Amino acid sequence: MAGSSTAALLDQLAAQAGHGATVRAGGDKDAVDGVQPRLVAAPADGEALAATLAWASSEGFSVRVTGGGTKQDWGTPGAPVDLQLSTAALSRVVEHRHGDLTATVEAGATLAAVNGRLAAHGQRLPWDPPWPERATVGGIVATNDSGPRRYGHGAPRDSIIGVTVARSDGRVAKAGGIVVKNVAGYDLARLLTGSFGCLGVILTATFKLAPAPPVSRTVEVQVDSLEDAAPIAADLAGSSLTPTSIEISWAPARLFVRFESVEVSVAQQAAAACALVGERGSAVVLGGEDERAAWDRHAAHWSPGGTLVKLSTVPAELFPTLVWLRDRAARDGIEMAAGGRAGLGVVDVRLNGPVDAQARLIGDVRGRLPLGRGSAVIRRGDPELRRSIDAWGPVGDGMRVMMAIKRQFDPAGLLNPGRGPGGL
Amino acid sequence: MKSQIVTELERIVGRDGIVRDDGELLTYETDGLVKLRSKPGVAVLPTSADQVRRIVRLCHENGVPFVARGQGTGLSGGALPHPDGVLIVMTRMNRILDIDIPNRRITVEPGVMNLDVSKAVAAAGYYYAPDPSSQVICSIGGNLAENSGGAHCLKYGFTVHHVLGVEAVLPDGELVHLGGPALDPPGLDLLGVLVGSEGTLAVVTKVVLNLLRKPAAVETLLAAFDSTEAAGNAVSGIIGAGIIPAAVEMMDRVTIEAAEAAVHPNFPKTEAILIVELDGAEADVSALFTRVEEVCRAAAASEIQIARTAEQRARFWQGRKAAFAAMGRVSPSYYVQDGVIPRTRLPEVLGRIRDLSDRSGLKIGNVFHAGDGNLHPLVCYDERIEGQADLAQEVASEILTYCLDADGSITGEHGVGADKAEHLPKMFSEDDLDTMQLVRCSFDPGYICNPGKVFPTPRLCGEVPGPYRKHPAEAAGLAERA
Repeated sequence: MAGSSTAALLDQLAAQAGHGATVRAGGDKDAVDGVQPRLVAAPADGEALAATLAWASSEGFSVRVTGGGTKQDWGTPGAPVDLQLSTAALSRVVEHRHGDLTATVEAGATLAAVNGRLAAHGQRLPWDPPWPERATVGGIVATNDSGPRRYGHGAPRDSIIGVTVARSDGRVAKAGGIVVKNVAGYDLARLLTGSFGCLGVILTATFKLAPAPPVSRTVEVQVDSLEDAAPIAADLAGSSLTPTSIEISWAPARLFVRFESVEVSVAQQAAAACALVGERGSAVVLGGEDERAAWDRHAAHWSPGGTLVKLSTVPAELFPTLVWLRDRAARDGIEMAAGGRAGLGVVDVRLNGPVDAQARLIGDVRGRLPLGRGSAVIRRGDPELRRSIDAWGPVGDGMRVMMAIKRQFDPAGLLNPGRGPGGL
Repeated sequence: MKSQIVTELERIVGRDGIVRDDGELLTYETDGLVKLRSKPGVAVLPTSADQVRRIVRLCHENGVPFVARGQGTGLSGGALPHPDGVLIVMTRMNRILDIDIPNRRITVEPGVMNLDVSKAVAAAGYYYAPDPSSQVICSIGGNLAENSGGAHCLKYGFTVHHVLGVEAVLPDGELVHLGGPALDPPGLDLLGVLVGSEGTLAVVTKVVLNLLRKPAAVETLLAAFDSTEAAGNAVSGIIGAGIIPAAVEMMDRVTIEAAEAAVHPNFPKTEAILIVELDGAEADVSALFTRVEEVCRAAAASEIQIARTAEQRARFWQGRKAAFAAMGRVSPSYYVQDGVIPRTRLPEVLGRIRDLSDRSGLKIGNVFHAGDGNLHPLVCYDERIEGQADLAQEVASEILTYCLDADGSITGEHGVGADKAEHLPKMFSEDDLDTMQLVRCSFDPGYICNPGKVFPTPRLCGEVPGPYRKHPAEAAGLAERA
């Protein structure tokens, strides 16, 4: 690449990226963790994106894949990047088969835009990860990111039924299909979900959808402490109630329990949840504007700033681990907040404080979590922190196979180098 | 099979863990797809992960193919032995290792029967959701290999949605641990691709499963229709109304009659029935059940029976689950197909299957997971009649083309196996299959793990072109190249 001028490369890039594509030199605003791409392209369509990848591959250019850019600073800080490749122009809902409750969507469509379209037939992708107005379906799938409704509806890996992907060599492959049940061939859709763009660039994905429920109601439970929240969360998850979310927010300690169904069910179940809480906390049933406001307040946990660590434990170990973290953070002069899936044992812990103290805290909490029974993954945070301690933590003996897969899919190591899970 | 290898195998599993007698090996020459038969070179019945690891290591070192087998109930020949290979029979690894109700997890060896998982946690109010019709006699390891579904996967998903972790032996004999009782293990979702890989990537030796709380309420109805098209319209109507039942199953006249002859469920004598089950919170079930009834009536249901008791519900399900086996009552032989179509295409495709039946002169029964669009046409034939077995095979293949015409799939839950590998290229391009096999090359570059299944032609797994860049973990000495 040193041999060609940027202008010459831009001409070549434009020839690949298709009519109407955005092609330009990288600038300051494209920098992620201080790494600035030399070239930036948003190819016109999937075919052009694949052609652009093939060209980049033949030039030996490293590629950073981006959708809405909401999670570019997650994981290990990236290596130098030659080309930033955006899916922004791939923003169509290819097909909404409402009678079949499935939809095929281009990777660059934002979640909000897709759900706006699906709402025309009373359906939705039942996900509520942060930043739905900007986060793209491709980015959400590539990070397997989710929100409170994961409790009732699962993560993207649970909804995906098909995928089209551009490989690093520009070949386009598909797996799965448009039917909700299908075991023909290997399930590449799930392998790509959560792969952080390190195996290929998702062009389209097909999902099973959920009917949009007519009514939603949320029980907000105030308690004095994480310790007080723990048995209530366990009882809710162990009950035969069917909430779509059981969230913890701390501090102050609150549980948010959402019911979404027909009116009679939502009313009965919210009342049953209040009864289950009993004297152990102060429970109120929220609907309409109050409910929206409560969820907006909860979503603020994911607003910019601070370190975000995804803590995952077996459900019964979640609160003891949070309590341990809380006490250690207080001792070490680290500010801490927590928000996430109390019913599943997956919570985002937010930290603010000296980088070295944070690194020690994260290292020590990892030490408490045996492989398979929990993990603490740094999502975003000071690049210095993400360089001083492995963002992913121990992966275990499966790492060998993951590296083999990375080598097979991307032999030259050009795609999102170092940003894949486990540092792939 | 070289005698030296057999001797080594016997050293690993002991004398009572090896089968090499020709007559005894006949037991293993086929799985649930009896038309394909192949006697293994030798069969071993390990009792521990360590034994599996040593068996596979021995195969790896000697380039001997191996096939893992559970209960042998698979319907695509996925466990069809390799004639020059080792058949690893997992039935003796059948212990439930840990039941963890507070965390809603159970850890089992792969030889544990599907239904025994639910039985083990029933008293605590929990169950394991995937419920293939063969759940009494099929094991978790086979379920994992095939990504098994069942009637209730319409609402609760397939095996892949309920397996949280595995211990497995890779084709080079190394043990790996993927996932575990906690969600979101860091790293690529290898479990997502391992489940459903039909035994071609690894041999699983331990499995962590997710458990579900038994629903507060269950309601089941049976609706009779004058045609399969009308029943198909009712299915579309239910899904279109935004209702996701726990199960929606359809049977046609042929399979209704067969089930009646075998287990006497007292089903209406009609062209098609639907069994619709709703579960969940009581208020949801009662509100939505009324709407399901309305949809069925609007689709011209001639009769609706509601299960008022657990016994009545069990009767409906007994009739449904017995349908495959009961086909023996109406036909000497039958061939089961497993295609999938978008559920809105049910009336059209069922019509085409009926025309095909008329044209070919072969009776075709339909009993299937209508809510998922997963067809199970049963092509009846009599192998004593010259040419009829071949005709049945042709007819079954023709049905797959109808499924593909409707943008569906050649298999919903039975797997590709040895049976449908030749059909896979009708669904996927060369690039698609090549990309899938990149995964295979990552796990099994020597192509010894259940070779010949799924993919019609193996991909060469030689070194891929391009400059190789050392991974940071490798450079740091934390890992070695696979």
